[in-house]
Amino acid sequence: MIGAEDVAVRPVVPVVDDVDTGGFFEAAARGELAVRHCGGCGTDLHLPRECCPHCGELSRTWRTVEPRATLYSWTVVEHQVHPAHPTPYTVVLVELDDAPTVRLLGHLPGRPPLTVGQPMVVEFEDVEGVRLPQWRPEEESDRA
Amino acid sequence: MPEDTSRWTPGATSIVGVGATDFSRSSGRSPLTLAVQATRAALADAGVDPRDVDGIVRCDMDLVSGPALADSLGARDLTYWGEAGPGGSGPAAMVAQAAAAVSAGLASTVVVFRALNGRSGNRYGLVGERGAVGGDGSYDEFFLPFGMQTAGQFFAVVARRYAHEHGMSVDKLSEGLASIALAGRAHANNNPAAQFHDRTMTREDYFASRMLSDPLRLFDYCLETDGACAVVVTSTERARDLAGGAVPIVSAAQGTGPGVQPGLMFPALLRPSTPSWPSAATAPTLFGRAGVSAADIDVAQVYDCFTITTLIQLEDYGFVPRGQAAHLGEADLTLGGRLPINTSGGHLSEAYIHGMNHVVEGVRQMRGTSTNQVTGAELCLVTSAPPPGASALILGVDR
Repeated sequence: MIGAEDVAVRPVVPVVDDVDTGGFFEAAARGELAVRHCGGCGTDLHLPRECCPHCGELSRTWRTVEPRATLYSWTVVEHQVHPAHPTPYTVVLVELDDAPTVRLLGHLPGRPPLTVGQPMVVEFEDVEGVRLPQWRPEEESDRA
Repeated sequence: MPEDTSRWTPGATSIVGVGATDFSRSSGRSPLTLAVQATRAALADAGVDPRDVDGIVRCDMDLVSGPALADSLGARDLTYWGEAGPGGSGPAAMVAQAAAAVSAGLASTVVVFRALNGRSGNRYGLVGERGAVGGDGSYDEFFLPFGMQTAGQFFAVVARRYAHEHGMSVDKLSEGLASIALAGRAHANNNPAAQFHDRTMTREDYFASRMLSDPLRLFDYCLETDGACAVVVTSTERARDLAGGAVPIVSAAQGTGPGVQPGLMFPALLRPSTPSWPSAATAPTLFGRAGVSAADIDVAQVYDCFTITTLIQLEDYGFVPRGQAAHLGEADLTLGGRLPINTSGGHLSEAYIHGMNHVVEGVRQMRGTSTNQVTGAELCLVTSAPPPGASALILGVDR
């Protein structure tokens, strides 16, 4: 009998070539953070899509933003669900300083002490050839 | 708010029969069998011959199609079938579709059902061995790789933000969440059909239960259930001549509000305000069509996949001001309280039939046959899941 421990645990990786969202992961692969941006009226469009609900324009523009954010909320996951994400771990939800209507998720191991509103910075993580923008609390050295 | 130009007639249609299977962790039966059993029970309750069913409305996540159920019932001819969702947003909207089909003359006898092996079959929230995740409009690529993979994790993030926005500690919020869990459990203890009929719970038990996704504990989570529920919708005029009698659909409404986001549940974390849901947009439509207000509601079946889901809806539907639902005690929410909720035990303690058992219990309250009957109740609110889009009903008593 094959037990779960005998099966190689594969990380959960995103589709990176979707027509609407691929640009986010292309930018991450370059070490940049990008948000979809309407080519007509300039509204940030997250989740990324071509059609702008404000002006009706169809566009595929991305803009690079500062990899800094503010912590919006989080949960500490204590109940194991996926073997690639051992518990405890923390899922953070952040608002980008440069694009306040855009929120992104990040994964942190363990139960780090956190406060809503605290500054967060990007740390890119490479997983099976895919680069994911993760978020961690800003440290003294980040401000240098 | 723009003028409501819809032309809803309160009570034109009614629910005339309700049915349910047993609720278990392992039914040993297919969803089709469960759907047939619940539907036959509802038709027998209504006094309708299964061959006369000419309309069926399903949930978009059901494994059973309308025509498949019609075939298994021996229906002569299905002239209308439809579906609503996503998932738990469906049941009230499914009843609304049935009412609309009857009013439009597309069908006369419409079954609304939900059947699932929610424990022994496909459990929710499991990320399978499917390679890269996301794409094709699912937007899962922004959530699953970061460890956001279950409904409980989603609602935990919402709960913490709710506490922050209302300036309350997470511990204070948990006191309010406990009240909702305790109300459901107390009602289940009086309902022999409930999965937690024999399991009592104290506030201490709630706080001692395992933390699954902080700040949500085991008893903030609903059950996982194998089972099915069904109701039969027809015109009120016809229902009065049938054995089941008429429970009028006084109002029905769906709503998204603006900025609802694509995808299913997780993208709701990106709405302008996370703890403000489409149920807030649905409430004025719902009450407007009935010509009543929240103060007129005697009893409510409020969708409770998690305690926080119910807590926010109590504010969205106007029963308490913003930020006040966490201050309710279980005495407020049980029989004899200001608003008894989830009088069958709900998803937390009766069964998780994805919102359909709430419709069935709403009908029982209006018939006066609930195991937790609210004396003299004349209006019952029934809500379905708010995160992707909300729907709700107001059921009444035929005069």
